[in-house]
Amino acid sequence: MIFNTPIFFWFFLIFMIFYGLVFVKQKAKVYLVIVASLVFYGAWNYAFIPLLVGSAVADYFIAQAIGNSDSQQHKKRWVTLSLVINLGILATFKYADFVLVSVADLLSVFGYHASIDTLGWVLPVGISFYTFQSLSYTIDVYRGDMKPRKGLLEFVAALSFFPQLVAGPILRARHILPQMHAISLPKWDAVKHGFLLITVGLLKKTGADLLAIPAQKAFEAHENLSTLEIWTGVLAFAGQIYGDFSGYTDMAIGIALLLGFSIPLNFRVPYFAVSPVDFWRRWHISLSSWLKDYLYISLGGNRNNHRTRNVFITMLLGGLWHGAAWTFVAWGAFHGLIITLTHYLAGLKVFAAFNSGNNKLITMVKWAATFYLILIGWVFFRATDITSAIQILSAMHSFTNDAELGRHAMAIFIMTSVWILLVHIMDFYVIKGADKLEKKPWLFWFLIILIQSICIMVGEPSNEFIYFQF
Amino acid sequence: MNERMIYAKILFAITLCAGVTVAIMQGFIAIADAKNQGVFARTSLAREALPQIVKEPHDLVIFYGSSMTRAGFSPRLFDRKLNEMGKNVKSFNYGFGGLNPYFQDFLSRRIKDEFVANDKKLKLAMIEFNPFQTTQTRWQGAKPVVDSFLSMLASDEELFEIAKQDITRGTLLFNIRYIRNNISSEIITSSFGRGIFPPYRWRQFEDTEEVQQARREIGRKLGEFFEKDYPDLDYQDWMYEWQGAGTIPEERSEETLIAFEEYYDLNQTDAQMKNDRLSRIRSADIEELNFEPLLVESFIQIVKNFQQFSEKVEVIMLPRNTKWITNTPEGKKRLALAINQIEEATGITIRDHQDLDIIDPTMFSDTTHLARYRGDVPYTNYLIEQYANDL
Repeated sequence: MIFNTPIFFWFFLIFMIFYGLVFVKQKAKVYLVIVASLVFYGAWNYAFIPLLVGSAVADYFIAQAIGNSDSQQHKKRWVTLSLVINLGILATFKYADFVLVSVADLLSVFGYHASIDTLGWVLPVGISFYTFQSLSYTIDVYRGDMKPRKGLLEFVAALSFFPQLVAGPILRARHILPQMHAISLPKWDAVKHGFLLITVGLLKKTGADLLAIPAQKAFEAHENLSTLEIWTGVLAFAGQIYGDFSGYTDMAIGIALLLGFSIPLNFRVPYFAVSPVDFWRRWHISLSSWLKDYLYISLGGNRNNHRTRNVFITMLLGGLWHGAAWTFVAWGAFHGLIITLTHYLAGLKVFAAFNSGNNKLITMVKWAATFYLILIGWVFFRATDITSAIQILSAMHSFTNDAELGRHAMAIFIMTSVWILLVHIMDFYVIKGADKLEKKPWLFWFLIILIQSICIMVGEPSNEFIYFQF
Repeated sequence: MNERMIYAKILFAITLCAGVTVAIMQGFIAIADAKNQGVFARTSLAREALPQIVKEPHDLVIFYGSSMTRAGFSPRLFDRKLNEMGKNVKSFNYGFGGLNPYFQDFLSRRIKDEFVANDKKLKLAMIEFNPFQTTQTRWQGAKPVVDSFLSMLASDEELFEIAKQDITRGTLLFNIRYIRNNISSEIITSSFGRGIFPPYRWRQFEDTEEVQQARREIGRKLGEFFEKDYPDLDYQDWMYEWQGAGTIPEERSEETLIAFEEYYDLNQTDAQMKNDRLSRIRSADIEELNFEPLLVESFIQIVKNFQQFSEKVEVIMLPRNTKWITNTPEGKKRLALAINQIEEATGITIRDHQDLDIIDPTMFSDTTHLARYRGDVPYTNYLIEQYANDL
């Protein structure tokens, strides 16, 4: 059940009737959120509901146990158990087959042709999101950053809260739990902003589905494409993944606002970033901050001259978080490399001018270099395997490509570029100046209806969000 | 504002937005007249005609198939000659361009429903097996229209079965049927897409400017002659009075028939035919014939559906333009396997009319379709010879 499908509309409409008009009391609302979230999750596969609920219940009691433990050693044991459970679930469902196949491949390099049976298990939707979210709670309690809260139902409701359940943002318990314990009445201004975000998200998702066409062509049939078409495909994928993921997140935040919840921003116009470090402050903020708080800092952060190592490990695991494939490892490693390089260059005197002042030309150069590197990274992310990633990268930089330019190649390139720019301008405006629009009711509702009409009229067959697979 | 009031306001805003949005979309679909375009219109008109067909007092015949059936079978000629032989027959052309066996399967179920509900039987069902409608390439090309055709042709029970397997898809299909007037967003997108990025046409070969000019001129003339020959006709894609097919020579003026001859000569130039062949290879894999298993299974199901309400079912492969289309050796092998699969599953031997002596390449309007008058008349006469005794 994804947000831009008719079934979600009907589900949400029925849910809202009960949530707003029937179940008025706090406790009843929590029950309703749990039931609705499990129905929402079960629409993909009911078999995985016990896994979701089980990991929530386990972490709830582990957090209580940590809170009740007097010795640091006991606390450590409990948090280790939480890590084993959550990472164990991830390892089993997401990474076991990847490891088995990789071992078999490695053995074959040395001449041993091992016949290894993979598990072939279906990956539970949103597993990477809710395990990280649940884990953050036990770690926060272990670190003393928050006290364990009583209320199993509220915890299950918070973890399974359907707007953000399957594709984030990855909420921190300290952010969502207090809201679930005292569900507040939505304010009309927040509701209007919710409508705006849902509409903007819908538009971005619709655009993303259309961009999938040139992207797919470039990544799955690149052999006969011209250099311009390959670039268009890579650019289209950059637009697709941003529209797909940030569109989903916008809708999630918007839906939560209608229910009286606030969910933090997950994207801040990421393709306007002027360095790889800046990019990670703008892209999938909830994941990058999670990795920073729970992995990078645990590894030692900037201390002991291990920053390079720690950045690299964090980005490598961040890449692997996205999927069990070497392409994601390569993507993470590439970002680790360019972040490290950025740190290194920033320390050089020759680049001092780059780090100071507001010279527009320098900013443009930094933006162009960053955007170029991000595009290179997406090639690893989207390619079916490392070999085809290298082929695509080589085709992108080939000046001797003799493939005939497609009839509409230039038009599609321009339209793709313009769309990505427009989406970023729109996002910038939504972040900075949405309140001005929301104060003009006629214009506001006219735009909402106009954009929604366009989105339901056109669209490509798309039953998934890219990030669901992570 | 109390709690219920604010949620009532939110619900009002949601339903109002959705209502206005749906109204705008419906308005757009109505203005674009999307429901009455091409194969959509023909299919829905043919389906709407079923209640009238089952009430006919005659022995009923349906020729069911693709655009090749549409072009190649003349029911009015068929009926007239059989009536002259003393047979009380009424036949209908159920040939649809662009309706592959997957969609045809659903339409055949609706035909069956109508006949069974009225306790009526078809005297003869002729079902065209069209190899190139059954290929993987054809199936890929049909993807944008799957949801629309499914919502249009499946029954509520069938949609409900889909919903039981996949609630998201099932709800989407119900939504397309009852809220979007059978027009999915993919159809609108694909229509806009073709407008913005016109598909690359296989125009590798060009006729001389004089030939092209003459072709345009004769096309214009034929349009005028049509107006003259049928001054009061409200043309629709499937017309009951024409029994689902096109015009017949007896209704046309002498000058129209001469113009048609000229038109076919101008249309069968080497360049035209070569371009058409390339187009068929690209869009239907017409020579290699890599079959899509789902479509072959669907075809078998069509035959089985007709077997349930027909006294006699014939599966026929229509004449092909062998001057221009020849299967590769691998294509021939795949075709033989598919034929074998269909015959085994249905118990019916396929009648191969692909290489009839009475049909020659000049009787085609392009590389696949029999030409009106030149081709459909001799082929319909052939069918009369073949099946008169069964009727």
